[in-house]
Amino acid sequence: MKLQHHLGGLENLGPINYERRVFVEDWEQRIFGIHVAMMGLSDHLGEALPEYPIDKVPTNFRSTWTWADLRMGAEAMNPFAYFQYRYYEKWLGGITGFFVSQGYITEEELQQKTALYLNNPELPLPSDGEESVDEQVIRYLREGDSLRRGPAESPRFSVGDRVTARNVPPTDHTRLPGNVRGRTGTVERVFDGNYGYYCSTGPDGIGSPMPVYAVRFEPTDIWGELAEPGAVIYADLYEAYLEPALEDKQ
Amino acid sequence: MTAEFAYPPDREAQSAARVRALEALLIEKGIITGTTVDKVLGYFEADMTPLNGAKIVARAWVDQDFAQRLVTNTPAAVAELDLPIGMDGAEGEHLQAVADGPGVHNLVICTLCSCFPWPVLGLPPYWYKDPTFRARAAREPRVVLKEIGLDLDPSVELRVWDSSGHSRFFVVPERPSGTDRMSEEQLVGLVTTESMIGIAQVPAPA
Repeated sequence: MKLQHHLGGLENLGPINYERRVFVEDWEQRIFGIHVAMMGLSDHLGEALPEYPIDKVPTNFRSTWTWADLRMGAEAMNPFAYFQYRYYEKWLGGITGFFVSQGYITEEELQQKTALYLNNPELPLPSDGEESVDEQVIRYLREGDSLRRGPAESPRFSVGDRVTARNVPPTDHTRLPGNVRGRTGTVERVFDGNYGYYCSTGPDGIGSPMPVYAVRFEPTDIWGELAEPGAVIYADLYEAYLEPALEDKQ
Repeated sequence: MTAEFAYPPDREAQSAARVRALEALLIEKGIITGTTVDKVLGYFEADMTPLNGAKIVARAWVDQDFAQRLVTNTPAAVAELDLPIGMDGAEGEHLQAVADGPGVHNLVICTLCSCFPWPVLGLPPYWYKDPTFRARAAREPRVVLKEIGLDLDPSVELRVWDSSGHSRFFVVPERPSGTDRMSEEQLVGLVTTESMIGIAQVPAPA
């Protein structure tokens, strides 16, 4: 298993750092902006719902970069490192790693430039580029990248059905929270339409368009006697993650 | 959360220089422009802030029919309001409002990452992204809320929404007492980001 897939219910973590700021260091804004730019210039957007004219955008970025890629990086981390690094430190590691591994930059030039800026923090950034690159990124922010695809032809489950979340293998990436795996809940809602995902998650099971359900779980069915009374927990779950309830096995 | 680990003393300076180096290289290599990152940040600062969510909530408080439409078809209801273009854009493609009411309190979490309804609430605060919050709010949400200062009555049903799929949830908190004479515009000023995530209620005006 991967710890990152099973955060819900992890015990003994102590008090929450109730930090209300979005960014706690100025540099964090820059890696956030780079990530958004990559999502807005990702080559998969040509097939996204607004059919962005991505191949006409004058950028040399010719890769797919979505939430799935960022999340996959976080899920690939050593779990101790996952806890060691602050949120945007993980982004910085994942995104620089991507650009190096894809050959856009070398670790050597990155280190050289890092040393340059370390010694000259006020050195300005280059000012190159065509405005239409920025326009595409902002258009992506305004119009999005919906995962909804077509009508749901025959959802397997209906509202009120009892369903059990499968315990799929811990592959590169998942959208099935660990705390509901193997647990039985009730279909609260069948969403209109089918929903794809940014990539195929392989044996995990999502990627091609399929129905998605809002499933309600009773905390006692997840946490047993550790459950707090008077709560319910909901998760949006892809059909591939569900099977008819195995009530008699519980 | 990170107090257990040892970090180099120049931790932040190194990250700041490395991200600046990365941005410079991406500009030099024609991947982004010298203004892309500033424009992204400007987009959120100018247009995509919790003020949008506050306006949606205030409208729901003054218009019962709107409040009903808001929970049954959130994107269509949000589109009725005069909000910035892009409410159904990135991370707003599938907005879902969940409403507090007598005996019901909602809490939004994301145990797998940090999914958040950007156009409605802006970017997520650090605590929401903190693995400790994500882990604890799933199993002991009442204890977590109490630590933060919200002591829910045991009779209240606490609904925890894990943002594991396409829905991006936000909470329509209860309208506080003593606000009957306030205008919609005045009500907007009362609504907090925390109340729209579900870790707080909207306090009555002083």
